[in-house]
Order: sequence, then structure tokens, then C-alpha cells
Amino acid sequence: MKQFFMLLKKEQLENIRNYKIYWIPAIFILLGILEPTTNYFLPQIIESSGGLPEGAVLEIPTPTPEQMLAAIVEQFQTIGIAVLILAYMGTIAGERKSGTATLLYVRPLSFRAYFLSKWTMASVISLVSVWLGFLAGYYYTYLFFGEVELIKVLQMMGTYSVWVLFIMALLLVASAISPNSGFAAAIAFSTYLLIQLTDGLFGLNWTFSPGKIPQYGLEWLIGAPDSSGLWGAIGIAVLLILLLFAIGSWAAQRNKAKTKV
Amino acid sequence: MDQTTMIMALVPIIIIQLALMIFALVDLVKNPSPNGPKWMWGIIIVVINILGPILYFVIGRKNY
Amino acid sequence: MNIVEVENLTKRYGAESAVEDLSFVLEKGTATALIGPNGAGKTTSLSMLANLLSPTSGKITMEKDVSLGFLPQYPQFFPWLTAVEFTELAAKISGVETKQARLQSIQTLEFVGLESSLHKKIGSFSGGMKQRLGLAQAIVHRPNLLLLDEPISALDPTGRREIMNLLKSLQQDTTILYSTHILNDAEEMTDQLLFMKDGRLIEQGSLKEVKKKHANPYIQIKFRNHTSALEFVGSHTWKCEVEENLVLIPVSNSGPTMQQVLHILSTEKQDIIGVEFQDASLEEIFLKVVAAK
Repeated sequence: MKQFFMLLKKEQLENIRNYKIYWIPAIFILLGILEPTTNYFLPQIIESSGGLPEGAVLEIPTPTPEQMLAAIVEQFQTIGIAVLILAYMGTIAGERKSGTATLLYVRPLSFRAYFLSKWTMASVISLVSVWLGFLAGYYYTYLFFGEVELIKVLQMMGTYSVWVLFIMALLLVASAISPNSGFAAAIAFSTYLLIQLTDGLFGLNWTFSPGKIPQYGLEWLIGAPDSSGLWGAIGIAVLLILLLFAIGSWAAQRNKAKTKV
Repeated sequence: MDQTTMIMALVPIIIIQLALMIFALVDLVKNPSPNGPKWMWGIIIVVINILGPILYFVIGRKNY
Repeated sequence: MNIVEVENLTKRYGAESAVEDLSFVLEKGTATALIGPNGAGKTTSLSMLANLLSPTSGKITMEKDVSLGFLPQYPQFFPWLTAVEFTELAAKISGVETKQARLQSIQTLEFVGLESSLHKKIGSFSGGMKQRLGLAQAIVHRPNLLLLDEPISALDPTGRREIMNLLKSLQQDTTILYSTHILNDAEEMTDQLLFMKDGRLIEQGSLKEVKKKHANPYIQIKFRNHTSALEFVGSHTWKCEVEENLVLIPVSNSGPTMQQVLHILSTEKQDIIGVEFQDASLEEIFLKVVAAK
């Protein structure tokens, strides 16, 4: 526990001094703003480009605010997650590859505290980024497309947060088992896609599948997700996160021999 | 779109752009060896809205 | 009292053997120099002792209360931390209390000569400063066992001298095992020598023992010219060699002692310039041992 806090402080300093604490939230805010803004100005953009043939009638249905927020989630699910993976792929693998980890590994280091401190810091920054992104998106959606109840948006964000924590645990395990950052990113990306793909293809009745969490989050906007499905999926996600903690700490310890001496 | 909506839409973007630009410029001035010429990064940070400073943070600076 | 005992330590990577059947002990409070050419297995051995690598076979037994400090050959640091932040983190992970960790960090950085760079980011440090910081992080938690991989080879002669003196001052309460290929320095601080080649221990012992075994010391008498040297050799029965105006008498049980030589020279009134005791340097011994195996 003591080691957890000293290592967390180190992670915090790292994230401040390499400016991740600024640019990752900035990207999410940008994603949140961009989606409603481009949608709002889309008719004007098409018109000004003069691309429409004579006589054609332009009919773009105005999206509902709920659809707009769903589109923002879509952006986070693709570009947002990609940014997080690229930002944190080297968290453990990179330290080992460069040899900076060596001077920690020769000490009586608790690898559980080591892994958890890294997951905690990466998760805090990811969650803050996702929340700020959603809030920015919510604000512009409200300006351009109308109101959604704030409580619904908060429920959506809360549910989506569990998904983010799960993805970060997955990413850090990938970093713990990989020989370098690129490899870690590849493992994390492919696992991430695989989860969504299997859930999409075969998971119609898998109500407890953590892959459904983003979808459950969106269902808050138009009513409420099926309660047993939601809590089942969250429960399984939490169990998987705990399992990933164990695997990550174990892999980090096992791979300490691979650090550059 | 009426003018109030326009202002309300622009103000946050301007604030974010200014904040990022200032952070990036301060860091650029203090940075002893950025990844590329300083003047080039200066232009990128000031001219490209929001994305310029982010580009600088991600690829322009070495890790300290 | 042995602080570390190494028995038949072996590390193989597939069929390739990095360290083979290495056995030695480290006595408490002694300094041991691990000497060998590049690729001899020094770094692998130290990594196993530092518990970074697990051996393929063999055993390392450490005393119960061992606290370990380790300096890799090329220490790598987080460039965004300051020197004092890093040593403090290192000390705390090694179990030093927060307040004490701060205090010891500052003391240690002063000790290695970094007092003016306490709060500078490590990313701005020169190679020599990083080497000093490397030593600082190895000793900041006051370990009783220090493992140093080539602690001085990356330094210039002045820095080398300084660090060597620091290490010598630590020796009283620390057991030190260090690898090096700069043999002059090893000669200065060593209670035990370990010669390694191709992963194997090829010679071990104290400096005195190793010298006695391999050094072949001799007494060298320098005469005014070649003729008087030959004259001297002709009038005595000792085994000796003549080189120009030099007469070399190996020191052995059957040969004369320095005292006898001096006595004879003073009574015979030879035409000499000087008498010297010649000993092989550690470097010469090392080359000889390596070539022999």
C-alpha cells in the first residue's frame, strides 16, 4: 500500500511532465466538440462547396440530441480508444525496453503496487478526458440540437466509465506481457476489436457481455437499459478487471528479467 | 443561428485554444532541444488551432 | 562470515552458456573484483546476484538481512525526474522512511559530488553525472551489499580516481562486488580477485595469492655495461638471464633473496647503476591466465 502511493506519485509526475495530462483531455474535448459542430454546419458546408447538381434537393434529417451523443460515443470508441492505447502502450514495456525499470526492479518492489499504480494513473487521466469530452460534446449538442436531461448523460458517462477502466486494464496487461510498446499496442488493439466483433456477431443473447457496456450506456439516453443485463455486464467487467490485475502483476514480475541491464 | 448561440459556441473553443497555445509556447521556450526547429513549432502552435499545440506535445518535445 | 555464497551458478540461453558452474563466496566487509574480457559473463553473473535474472541451475545463498545496491553498467533514468526525486523514490522503495529518504538522498548526492544539481532534471545530465547518480541510487538506502557493473570504465581519469576513492571510503561497512576491465583500479581495491573467461571462473584468490602463483617476480640489477653484467653472471651460480646491461634473477626458493643480492653487490664492488625488485602487474597476470586457459 505504501509502495502504491509512492509509485502513484511517480506516475503522476510523469504524466504532468510529459504533458499527457493536458493533451489527452484536449483530444477528447476536440472529439466531443467536433461531432455536433460538423453535423450542425454540414448543410452549409455542402452548399458552399457547390457540389450539388441543379435541381437536386438536399435533405439531411436533423439528428436528435440523443443521436448526437451516440455519435460522440462512436468517436470515443474508435479514435478515443486508439489515442489512449497509443498514449499508454509503453507504460510497462517501454520502461523495460529503455532500461529505466532496472533501477526499480533491483529493489524489493511490490509488482502488484507497481502495476496498480500505473493502471490507476492511466485510468484517472483517461476518465477525466472522457468526461471532459462528453461534457464538451453535451454542451455543443445542447447549443445546436436541443436539450437532453443532464442526469441521463451522467448515467451514460458512468456506465461508459466502467468500459474505459476495463480497456485500460487490458492495455496495461498487454504492456506487461509485451517486449515493446508497438507489440503492446497491437495486442491491445486486436483484443479490443475481437471483444467487439465476437459480441457483435454471436453475442445477441449475451446480456452479461462487457462488450455491451457502451451500448447499455447509450440506452440510458432513451429510457433505461435492462437492469439485470447492465449489472451483470458491469459485474463481469469488474471481475475481469480484477483478473487482469492479477495477470498484469504476475506478468510484470515474470518479465523483470527482460529489462535492459 | 442567432448571435448568442454563435458566441456561446465560440467562447469555449477560444478558451481551450488559448490555454493549449500558452502551455505549448511556454514549454517550447523552455525546451532546450525540441524535435525540430523551434521557429517551425512556434508557427505550428500559433497557426493550427488546437491541433497545433497537441501535435507539439505529442511529437515535438522529447521526454523532459 | 560470508554474506553471499554462490554455488555452481549456471545460466544458459538455449544451448548457449553465458555463465557456467560459477562458485565463490563474498566475505563480509570485503571488496571483490570480477575481472574478464567483454562477453565473459560478468554482467549476467551480477544480474543473477541482483535477482534480475534467475539462474538455469546452481544456488545463491544470501545472509538474511542483506540489503542490496546495484549499479548497472549503463544506468538508465527517468529523464523527467530530478536527481533528488529519483534517489528519494529509490530509497523509499528500498524501505527507507519518507523523511529519512529525503535526508539520505541529499547527503548521498552531495557525497557523489552532485550537490549543485539536486533539483535539475536528469534528462539534462551529462554521461559523467549520470554515472555519479547511478552510484548515488545504489548506495542511497545504505545497503550492506553493493554490486557494481563496470562502475568506472565510462569515466575520465579524474572522475575514475574520485569514484574509486568514494568506493574505498564505503568499504568499511559494505561488501562490494564489482566488475571491471581496468586492472590498475582493481589492484587498488580488492581483497579477492575473480577472473572470468567464456562464462567460467578461471582463477580466484587474493591479490597476493594470485600474484604469487602467476607473477614470477625477479630482482633486476642494472650494470654500467653488458661486459660487467656478463662478468657478474659468470662469477655466480644462480639461475638468471642477461639482457644488455641488465641481469634478471627470478625470485624462487632456490634463488637468492634481495638481501643476499645486496650484500654480495656491496662486498664485490660491482660496476652497477641500480637494483630493483620487479613484479608483474595485474594486467600482465590477467593476460597470462587468460591466454593459458
